[in-house]
Amino acid sequence: MKTTRLYLSNDTSSLAAGAGRLADAWRERPEIQLIRTSSRGAFFLEPMVERDMPAGREAWFNVTSDDLPRIVGGIGGTPVTEIPFLEQQTRVIFANFGITEPLALDEYQMRGGLKGLAEARRLSPETIIEELRLSRLRGRGGAAFPVWKKWQVAQQTGAEQKYVVANADEGDAGTYCDRMIMEGDPFRLIEGMLICARAIGATRGYIYCRYEYPAAARAMKFAIQKALEAGLLDFDDYPFDLEVVVGAGSYVCGEETALLESLEGRRGVVLAKPPYPAESGLHGKPTIVSNVLTFAAIPNILANGGAWHASLGTEGSRGTMVLQIGGRVRQPGLVEVPFGLPLRDVLDRFGGGMAPGARFKAVQVGGPLGSLFPESQLDIPICYDAFAEAGAILGHGGIVVYDRETNMVELARHFMAFTADESCGKCTPCRVGSVRGREILERIQSGQGAAEDLMLLSDLGETMKTASLCALGGRAPYPVETAIKHFGEEFRQGVKFTRPA
Amino acid sequence: MTTRGRSGLAESLEPCRPMPPDKPNILKALLAVQSALGHVPTSAISQIARVLGVSDAQVSGVLSYYSDLRIQSAGRHLIRVCMGESCMANHGGRVLRTIQDHLRVSVGDHEPERRFTLEQMSCAGNCAVSPTVMVDEDLHGKVTPSDVPSLLEPYR
Repeated sequence: MKTTRLYLSNDTSSLAAGAGRLADAWRERPEIQLIRTSSRGAFFLEPMVERDMPAGREAWFNVTSDDLPRIVGGIGGTPVTEIPFLEQQTRVIFANFGITEPLALDEYQMRGGLKGLAEARRLSPETIIEELRLSRLRGRGGAAFPVWKKWQVAQQTGAEQKYVVANADEGDAGTYCDRMIMEGDPFRLIEGMLICARAIGATRGYIYCRYEYPAAARAMKFAIQKALEAGLLDFDDYPFDLEVVVGAGSYVCGEETALLESLEGRRGVVLAKPPYPAESGLHGKPTIVSNVLTFAAIPNILANGGAWHASLGTEGSRGTMVLQIGGRVRQPGLVEVPFGLPLRDVLDRFGGGMAPGARFKAVQVGGPLGSLFPESQLDIPICYDAFAEAGAILGHGGIVVYDRETNMVELARHFMAFTADESCGKCTPCRVGSVRGREILERIQSGQGAAEDLMLLSDLGETMKTASLCALGGRAPYPVETAIKHFGEEFRQGVKFTRPA
Repeated sequence: MTTRGRSGLAESLEPCRPMPPDKPNILKALLAVQSALGHVPTSAISQIARVLGVSDAQVSGVLSYYSDLRIQSAGRHLIRVCMGESCMANHGGRVLRTIQDHLRVSVGDHEPERRFTLEQMSCAGNCAVSPTVMVDEDLHGKVTPSDVPSLLEPYR
């Protein structure tokens, strides 16, 4: 009997959407051969099953185990190139997703992988850094710092040992692209880290992966082993050691100095900068700490040239942005597009509008420290400059849509409580301010707010923004303040105004 | 601590003994202990500190800092309900309340028979398939309050 090759994602979210149940149900079926791939990120269509057809891959959506005869018969599939959610994207970093088997190094290579590394081995460290300068790549973890500047500092700082650290502590709620990269295209992260190591002269690397991502840590360990066996981790004159380290549940460990403290086994407490890690980081040595997505952007830049990367996006924001749409939208999923698309277009074209029965109230961009936008402000383009001008952040690309049933006072309280829980305690504005902020919001929520509470909250916010050591305390007031600014009536209802006699 | 607990502790600590010039890594040692014993009993702090050559206070400091390090063993199964923004937007709070009512257990606590421990988590990275409930390492997506009994049933 002829067996049909079917492709099914093995991504954690695909499994949560039912891909695991399908695989279990079909395991013993002789008429098919099931290939487990990464996910295309169109999670609203999952479980999604694909197969090769004469004109290319076709897909079946929201598949149940009863759909097998239809799929094997080739009936009712949609060409993958005609799925609007995917067809309108520019997949550069996520080009392999849904196509390859994550841990197959030969497939990675067949689709252009390792070209960037080969180029980097050929070039001098200075030339690699120059290529990155031309690319105008900025860090994708949140701070958006020019990548080449960090690398240049680390390269020029003399030391017998240097480190490369991938920040895989993806703590911003609403984001999952780092998890997808580690589970779905782990060799891309390894390649990006190796290029960095080659540029700055690092001999050791760590992937600091959060505790909540067990599948990602497993995939990375396996991929490192394969890379090692293939000789990828050997530079001409020295070997590069790469290791996965699992954290233990602390949001602030996504801040680079706290991450390095944690990597050394201490409390993950934020340190004052300077010195910056590029000069004095892990064990006091020059260290590049970058987000997983940043490292994953690098192989293409070396393979295609910095000018290619700089040709995508807007003036201050070059390349593509990976957005992760979640919350009350019809089509939650991962979207990679060049910078510059208005937020409204992202929500309409990719998000597909609101989930059935839900009505739009606000959208939050940039994770738990990101600002809230009401309907009237959705024309803002997705780029660093426009967001900075609006006092907002793109952060790690999380976009969460809230519906009319969302209570804004409860949401604001949630944000302050989150900061109070996760504050490392090093600086007073964050440690004490977040607790006082939460208390004030709890009073308002219970209808016991005093007349001056909103003013007090605003003053507290100013102090936290000005005087906190890192972005946790410094950004925590923004979602609360934007909630009050755009939905003030809900807050004023909880405040007992004192009237003049 | 039982005899078995003690030997498990010593064994799990052995690979964490610092080899000069490497400095001791307290977090790594605590995670190793937790992986062997299921938790890090506070009665083990002194022994951990001795093996690592650090003070008891340093070990306590790290142990109390990280939310995934536990000083009491969890129930046989750990339920973590995601309270990230996407899960909140999709009304994961209702799922959490249903689990609390169904098991008659509050967040951070376990049932008397220790089958389940209930906790919140701040994001499981499953935002596109939210709301999320994680039981041990199994991730369940698009969970509704009415799914709760059948979701928990297989965990015995």
